[in-house]
Amino acid sequence: MWSCWLVPAFCWLVHLCVAQSLRPQIASPQLATNNPTFTTIALEKPFCVFDGSLSPVSMISSAVTDNSSKPLDSTFQEVNGGQLGPYKAAVLNVPDCASPPKLADIRNVKKASDVLKQYLFRVGDDVSCLYDPNFLGVCNPPLASDTTYRFKYILVDETLGIMKDETLWSDPIKTNSVKKSSTIDTWPGRRSGGMIVITSILSVLIFLLLAGLFASVFFAITGSEDSATTETRHISQTVQQVAPRPQASSDRADQ
Amino acid sequence: MAKGDNGVRCFQGLLVLGNVIIGLCGIALTAECIFFVSDQQTLYPLLEATNNDDIYGAAWIGIFVGFALFNLAVLGIVGVIKSNRAMLLAYIILMLITYAFETASCITAATHRDFFTRNLFLKQMLEKYQNPEPLNNDDKWMSEGVTRTWDRLMLQHECCGVNGPSDWQNYMSKFRNINSDSEFPWPRQCCVMNVQGIPVNLDGCKLGVSGYYNDKGCYELIAGPMDRHAWGVAWFGFAILCWTFWVLLCTMFYWSRIEY
Repeated sequence: MWSCWLVPAFCWLVHLCVAQSLRPQIASPQLATNNPTFTTIALEKPFCVFDGSLSPVSMISSAVTDNSSKPLDSTFQEVNGGQLGPYKAAVLNVPDCASPPKLADIRNVKKASDVLKQYLFRVGDDVSCLYDPNFLGVCNPPLASDTTYRFKYILVDETLGIMKDETLWSDPIKTNSVKKSSTIDTWPGRRSGGMIVITSILSVLIFLLLAGLFASVFFAITGSEDSATTETRHISQTVQQVAPRPQASSDRADQ
Repeated sequence: MAKGDNGVRCFQGLLVLGNVIIGLCGIALTAECIFFVSDQQTLYPLLEATNNDDIYGAAWIGIFVGFALFNLAVLGIVGVIKSNRAMLLAYIILMLITYAFETASCITAATHRDFFTRNLFLKQMLEKYQNPEPLNNDDKWMSEGVTRTWDRLMLQHECCGVNGPSDWQNYMSKFRNINSDSEFPWPRQCCVMNVQGIPVNLDGCKLGVSGYYNDKGCYELIAGPMDRHAWGVAWFGFAILCWTFWVLLCTMFYWSRIEY
């Protein structure tokens, strides 16, 4: 009789030992690149950590630390989002150890949803349960940004309602911090070389053109005065050559 | 004239040739600027929202300057052949005014091109995309333009954000104010869509699984056409002005040497 007791006790002890050396892991970064975000953290489900063959069981994921042996029942609001103590975030079925999802299958569009559902669990996924007065399930509201969380999986026997096994607390995982958009500096820095070339050369050319305009107007005016006097001298000389001598003295007097 | 007839004829021929080239370049400038103003990629709302749309102003000036250059070139050719002082004086003065406008256009286009940085478009995207509470009608108009343009860009070119989808995750934004992070880590348009316009796998997109979201940034697609626009207006205008400078100087010299 006691041998039968020993065996399950021994088995129970072994399984307790196995789970108690493992920690929840964050989902593979090669698969889920957007992890963690401001308000969510996606964790790998505990494959081959708990033995689900003993009895129908469920698991609980929670944040922060606690030392009691009863399965947690605190909700998100009761512990102020995990600041005062851990809270129950979800109730999941024990994942199938014999056939874990193949991550390579994620490329197949038809299998992708199943692979994701079986492989990982996203803490902070449910935005509406906090504000829904009729919500009856386990609420998994968004996490706070720029905050460190720790998680633990607990194996609970649903029929008896007691905790059978638990993992260690995970390594601290921090959600992303937020930068305000007003901190973005839009000053372009130095001017480009092309802009300096264009501006300087065109400014010089305009100046030269204006100088050329004034010079040509100036020369045109002085040139016309010169040519006017030269022309009258030419005309008078030709007239002088044609007309007889007596006229020359009167022309000279005119000049 | 005091010079030999051959010299004068040669000089006139050079001036006529110079004006022909100015006329052709004027038409080309008009055509190029009309092309830019017509905004094939419909990126104008992005510039309008940054209050930095002066490259379009430069292109508009370019249209009218090009047309004016063509007309003045015709006037110049007629004036040179007839050696008419009044015509050439009108030509010189009007050309100088046109020259000044084109200089303004070139310098404006070159200067404002320098303002196009990633941060400029990033800040505008974060502050205006899907802005739920615009301050006034002007802000509302700009926000709607930005939202429309970004939606179209992201869907058409399969890109997300300015540098990548991480823009939405690194900064607060008006979009983030109304859309929860778990449901919309980035806009739905960043997800890979099927032919009906529905994301292929929404969970994959939200978690950032490669193949289900677009991880390319849109900056190259915005900056590329705008750079070409600005440089096209600035440098082609600059080339025309360099040529016109010599033709104008020679015409001034010719004008000053014409005798009544």
